Amino acid sequence: MWRSLQIGLSQLFSPAHSTGELVAYVVGALLASVLVLALLHKGLGWRGKRRLTMAVTFTAGLFFALEYFYPVRMVAGRQRNFLTDYIQPANEVLAIIMAFTVGLGIYSLIQVHGRNVLRQRRGWCNSLAFFLSMVVMFGFTLADNYIKVSDPPPAVLPYPKASFEILFNGLFMPLQSATFSLLAFYIASAAYRAFRVRTLEAGLMMAAAFVVMLGQVPIGAWLTHSLPVTGYHGIPAFFRLENLGEWVMTWLNTPAQRGITFGVAIGALAMSLRIWLSLERGTFFSEQS
Amino acid sequence: MNSLEHANWFMRALFFTLSAVIVASVLSAQRGRAMYIRRIPGLSAIEEAVGRATEMGKPIFFSPGLAGIGITTLQALSILAHIVRLAATHATRIIVGTADATVLPVAEEAVREAYDSAGRPELFRPEDVRFVSDSQFAYALGSVGLMSRDQTATNFFFGQFFAEALILTENGRSLGALQVAGTPDPVQIPFFIATCDYVVIGDEYYAASAYLTREPTQTGSLVGQDVVKAGLIALLIFGLGLVTYLAGHAPNGTVLSHLLTLLKAGS
Repeated sequence: MWRSLQIGLSQLFSPAHSTGELVAYVVGALLASVLVLALLHKGLGWRGKRRLTMAVTFTAGLFFALEYFYPVRMVAGRQRNFLTDYIQPANEVLAIIMAFTVGLGIYSLIQVHGRNVLRQRRGWCNSLAFFLSMVVMFGFTLADNYIKVSDPPPAVLPYPKASFEILFNGLFMPLQSATFSLLAFYIASAAYRAFRVRTLEAGLMMAAAFVVMLGQVPIGAWLTHSLPVTGYHGIPAFFRLENLGEWVMTWLNTPAQRGITFGVAIGALAMSLRIWLSLERGTFFSEQS
Repeated sequence: MNSLEHANWFMRALFFTLSAVIVASVLSAQRGRAMYIRRIPGLSAIEEAVGRATEMGKPIFFSPGLAGIGITTLQALSILAHIVRLAATHATRIIVGTADATVLPVAEEAVREAYDSAGRPELFRPEDVRFVSDSQFAYALGSVGLMSRDQTATNFFFGQFFAEALILTENGRSLGALQVAGTPDPVQIPFFIATCDYVVIGDEYYAASAYLTREPTQTGSLVGQDVVKAGLIALLIFGLGLVTYLAGHAPNGTVLSHLLTLLKAGS
């Protein structure tokens, strides 16, 4: 029976051999998913949904934890145990579930901007621009994926591909870069506020920043170049700005960052346990009884 | 077996010991053992920040960061639920902008439930929990747009942030909003400290649920975390001392040198 189930499943999940088969698979999977979700939504009450969430969370957590902690043996140069082969299918299931949520994201955007346009709220033109951009980008991205060109590409690209190039690489990417470049100004204004010496701590931070920044640039090395490289136990060389800056980063900054990471890792472990065992009640797994 | 694909004996032993300590602490708290949590200014400021928005009659903006559903984001949503419960008692509006489509339904559910548990389900507006964009800078600019159009009085940033953190917080500051941020990422902490009024750093971020709700389960977990941390620091110091001693006093081929090799393999 197990064997026939395996054969049935492998036939069901075998790759599509034609476009018609692919469309049938996609539509069938969508319909089946909608049906299952609708049945769960209608059939399960509030408590049932909670229990299902808890069961799925625990099972999924147990699967990945067991795969990681269960002893392994070397097979074909890779460490494996009895669950390793199922990691990839499990990740694919996760990817499919996440793909469903993209639809929810698009629905949220359409809902918010659609209402703005229909009610002609202030700035409704921006919402209209959103719809136009979404439709145009969607169309040209599809076209770009499905229109094949020779390799190397011709001097003049087909119209839909050229349009995609202009919209994505010629418009969207420069806009991203322009936004990123704004950071330079924001860093300057934030640094100005942070380095105003009003307290002892701010003074210390200012001094440390001054040393580190000077240690990174040639003028810093020039300012202290007269200090000998060798000398009494290397003490004068330590005060050369490039060395002092490196010392601050390696011996003060790095341990502090590692200390924070250490605490965060333990906090994440505790949080993971609370989620896995459904102990994180107030928000995700019903109120504390 | 130094690969990170699977745990070695040391990691197994460590994980199960640490987990056992945390779970034992949770169970102990659930049985009624009193536990103390020190004051965390960043988390105490949440109430003040919500109060400010209420007094000014303006909305609150909450960002759960750029990451998808994971431990960091779930903690952010846990904090969001607490903020919504606080805001609901004063009927203050909260706008949530998500950057990941997987976070949207979970955030929506968390907000809806928080309004329900505060006894104000009628205040929940689905359009206030919205997907902004999954593109980093489009999200930053979209969120800044939300803040400036709605003139938010308070902004909360809890979760995983990257380069967009400074764009969000500098603009929030220029709008005159009171800002509270929290992230477990050490790289982003300085940017938040420079631009926000209150910052929750490092493991304080994971202490938030316990600190805000004071539920026995959460408090027990937090105290368990601290016990684990103290134990690990002691183990770290002991291990450092042992390896340093063995490196100087264990000739090759002796039992001590084997112990040194074992310790190095375990690390």
